[in-house]
Amino acid sequence: MPRRLSLARRALLAALVLALSGAVAGPASAHAIVVTSEPTAGASLAAAPPQVTIRFNSRLDHARSRLLLIGADNAQTTLPIAEGGDPVALTAPLPATLAPGEWRLRWQVLAIDGHITRGDIPFTVKAP
Amino acid sequence: MEQFLDLYGFASVILHAMELVARTVLLGSVIFWVLLAAPLGRLMPPGDATRLHAIARRTVLTAGIASLVSTFLLGLLGFGALQATLDTGPGALLGANFVVLTGLDLLAMLVLLALALPREAPGRDRRFALLGAAVLVLVAVTFGSHAIARTEGRAMLLAATALHQAGAAFWLGGLPCLIAALRLTPPSARMAGQRYSLLAATGVGLILLGSAGFWFGFIGSVEAVYGTAYGSMAASKLIMLAMLLVLGAMNYRLLHRIPSSPGGTLRLRRFIEAEMAIGIAVLAVAASLTSVPPAMDLPDDRVTWAEITERFTPQWPRLTSPDHADLAIPALQAQLDAEAQRREAAQRPQAFTPGEGLLPPRNATDIAWSEYNHHWAGIMVLLVGLAALLDATGRVPVARHWPLVFLGLAAFLLIRSDPEAWPLGDIGLLDSLRDPEVVQHKLASLLVVGFAVSEWSVRLGLLRGRVRFVFPVAMLAGGVLLLAHTHAISNIKDAQLIELSHLPLALLAVVAGCARWTELRGPPELAKVGRWLWPACLIGIGFLLLIYREA
Repeated sequence: MPRRLSLARRALLAALVLALSGAVAGPASAHAIVVTSEPTAGASLAAAPPQVTIRFNSRLDHARSRLLLIGADNAQTTLPIAEGGDPVALTAPLPATLAPGEWRLRWQVLAIDGHITRGDIPFTVKAP
Repeated sequence: MEQFLDLYGFASVILHAMELVARTVLLGSVIFWVLLAAPLGRLMPPGDATRLHAIARRTVLTAGIASLVSTFLLGLLGFGALQATLDTGPGALLGANFVVLTGLDLLAMLVLLALALPREAPGRDRRFALLGAAVLVLVAVTFGSHAIARTEGRAMLLAATALHQAGAAFWLGGLPCLIAALRLTPPSARMAGQRYSLLAATGVGLILLGSAGFWFGFIGSVEAVYGTAYGSMAASKLIMLAMLLVLGAMNYRLLHRIPSSPGGTLRLRRFIEAEMAIGIAVLAVAASLTSVPPAMDLPDDRVTWAEITERFTPQWPRLTSPDHADLAIPALQAQLDAEAQRREAAQRPQAFTPGEGLLPPRNATDIAWSEYNHHWAGIMVLLVGLAALLDATGRVPVARHWPLVFLGLAAFLLIRSDPEAWPLGDIGLLDSLRDPEVVQHKLASLLVVGFAVSEWSVRLGLLRGRVRFVFPVAMLAGGVLLLAHTHAISNIKDAQLIELSHLPLALLAVVAGCARWTELRGPPELAKVGRWLWPACLIGIGFLLLIYREA
């Protein structure tokens, strides 16, 4: 639904009209966020790096986190996340050859405080 | 499944708020029982001692069951969301840190409940066991908090979390027991009150210690206070804690000179009720804070002071509904396009909870529509506040019909909230009801009608009894829900600026609810203050809505 609806609803709630009308709608959020990544979001690369590393602001439960590589045709490949090592980073090898084009890393992490967060990191592999 | 994930972010904050309130009361009532009721019972007449013990036991049992249920549901929600998003079996999730700690928490609560079941007063061993199980609950929640996931200063933040939560239990958690204990004979009530003020003072000290840890570990600078959702929510919490301290200080004075007359504790009870209401609002903010990254982790894209002053500089309200011929719209659209281009150029990685996605791009008409809605709502709330003030003078009989203004607001909501649907849009009423959000809006309109009619009937003397409390409870619940809503995960400036406008609305709503409650419940000297205070809060809310802007 358009954004104005939820804002109108908030206004009405704030106006004390109705406590339980669901004014709490809005962008939901969680805890773990990306601090740095390799490749970086929006990067345009001559060749894909051998591995992907995404660092977060929280300690992660690696076994219950997930990393997907998504191509322009929406084909998804699950990347094997390395266990152990840096407690705040997801690391996984990328396929040896990535075809030129647009790619996305879709990550989902479980922080050890129980929060689930997900997001995308888009990057482009340039044609030679 | 998609609908479940859509609700995940919102449901987790609401459940967390419920769990936090129930757990704080559980721990506080255990403290009350062991450190107050047990030792003081020996000094009281047998009848009072038995009643005090029963009060504490009953509160531990009630809060224990509420805490058990809310903790279980919260754990189940996280477990379900994880299972749905990872598409894996439940067995693979059982070792997750939050699952183990939820299990430990539930176990400790079950032990607490078992220890509270026997009716006789607890002996020394049982009291130690009660305290031990309460400490176990505190340890389980501390090790499941933000602090455990931090990379730096983890030990300090774990200690700060434990101190903060223990402080809330000492101070706020025992209030339900205290308010019941004030019904004992005056000497016993005075004794309980004086001992409670010591517990509350201890709680304040613990909270301040914990807050210092949070400042250094999670916030770190003044700019982070107004520039991030975490910082501004923490500031709201601080303002409410200041209100609580004022109430607590008044209580402290009253607790040490409770009169012997039967109505002697009335004033004290009103203050404690207000403390409990504000305490719930504080815990709602605390729950909401668990859903945002600490301010320190978001050094970029913070809202600046200049942006805040620009946004909150009053402008003439938008009183005509937007249409594309409006000359201001193209200019506004150009500004929004430029902002969108800047955001796109930044290319920062986004993060979401399951079920959440990017907001659809705003356009100028959307914003103008929303501002128009806010501004007219503001005018109506302002009218209510002014009429209620006139009513308080007792000299303008017609002013007592102020609830009827809410009928206008209900009609406004019915017409304006879903422009695509009946009555403004092409979608028929029945077809539009397939959308849950439309259903919510239509129900809201009906409920506002019910709310306005009931308050009007109270004003006319047609209805009596508990229906009087619908209005203050709705104000309190509105404020608490506004404080407990979820937030943008990154520093989305627009969301943060809207957040900054809604926080004072929520605080005013909480104060107004307490004031109206006090007006209804007395004693007369406090009711007099309440009668003027809540209309003043409504006027403040109306003004804030009138200057509300989204760009």
